[in-house]
Amino acid sequence: MAGPAHPHSMAPPKPGRTRAAPPQMPASWWNTSRMRTYLLFDATGIIYLLVGFVAIRMIRALAEGAGAWQAAMQSLENPIYIGFHLLSLISVIFVAVRFFRLFPKAQPPSIGPLKPPPGPVIHAALYAVWIGVTVVMSLALAGVIF
Amino acid sequence: MSSTNTGEAIAPTQKTIIITRFDPDKDEVPRKQEYSVPCEDNWKVLDAVNFIKDELDATVSHRWSCRMAVCGSCGMMVNGEPKLTCKTSLKEYGDRVDIEPLANFPIVRDLVVELDGFMHKFEAVKPWIKRAKEKAEDKAALHDTKLTFSQSAEELGNFKQFSMCINCMLCYSACPVVANEPDFLGPAAIALGHRYNMDSRDEGNAERNEIFRGEGTVFSCSFANECSEVCPKNVDPAAAVNQAKFEAVIDWAKGLVLPSPSSGGSN
Repeated sequence: MAGPAHPHSMAPPKPGRTRAAPPQMPASWWNTSRMRTYLLFDATGIIYLLVGFVAIRMIRALAEGAGAWQAAMQSLENPIYIGFHLLSLISVIFVAVRFFRLFPKAQPPSIGPLKPPPGPVIHAALYAVWIGVTVVMSLALAGVIF
Repeated sequence: MSSTNTGEAIAPTQKTIIITRFDPDKDEVPRKQEYSVPCEDNWKVLDAVNFIKDELDATVSHRWSCRMAVCGSCGMMVNGEPKLTCKTSLKEYGDRVDIEPLANFPIVRDLVVELDGFMHKFEAVKPWIKRAKEKAEDKAALHDTKLTFSQSAEELGNFKQFSMCINCMLCYSACPVVANEPDFLGPAAIALGHRYNMDSRDEGNAERNEIFRGEGTVFSCSFANECSEVCPKNVDPAAAVNQAKFEAVIDWAKGLVLPSPSSGGSN
């Protein structure tokens, strides 16, 4: 065993009479498929941080005038940016699918007299709303509507 | 020696069982020790550890009791996964099986972990039925279960799943937050607190929700769902923790607009 458990994890409030070895985690703790999925989920935070930096850069360009905005928009056509945005899209889909999968179990059994619908209905509603919003936004950005 | 349905005898399979050893009087850090064990086809992992203890090395220490996944004593890490060893077939594993004490817990000796921290967290959520004050009907209910303490099947269904926990602590071993935040109450304790919050006989919601809104409780959970994945009794502690988040927020919001409910009582 080796690894990154906090030395005071699950420690008693007062030390016992016997010396105990500090808590540990298996050396392969990260190597189960479930844990890899969770780590990947956590790692998507890095992508959103970078997306935030890109958004700030675009807002600054917008504030600097039409020339700066055009230059910034042109830079987004760089294959590196396109690859990054593709990665962002994949990570958003991954996080959304994971969230939708876990969402029904986080619902309270009832709110007053109201009971949540069955899990599959919640899933279907979440996906319907997600797809609907995506379609509306895509049409709006393409100038078809609004 | 075990046998097939036709009565044919199956020879034991020799497996190498690797046990984590730690003697606080001799060892500075835990070490590994290998044992060659003739494993029967129908053995659980616990059978192999018991064989080592009984036949090969009496100094090996581990906890076990019921052998039928009820007492929750025999939780160990098996090839890196938290498992209830009396419920886990040995034939699921290859020739080498690595058995370690539950991750995230201080190790008292060999496969035995320190439980005091867990018990302390358990107590913190007040896992008992709290009544605002003793009522006349409470006394009557002690003699007639159809009175105050009666509960419909629907009311029972709201929390029954969360009351099936056997305190095996596998969820604590699997939880990445427990590994990093020593103050985190953890899945089983929060699930138990939530179980009492959902109980129609209980009136301690406000008090427990106050605890749940504090540091190191429900909002420390990042919904990794690992606790539910490893739970041998399908309690689904991740559901309890995340439902408790919702309840704690609703309770807080109610407190903004409604007079605070009496949550006193000394029971």
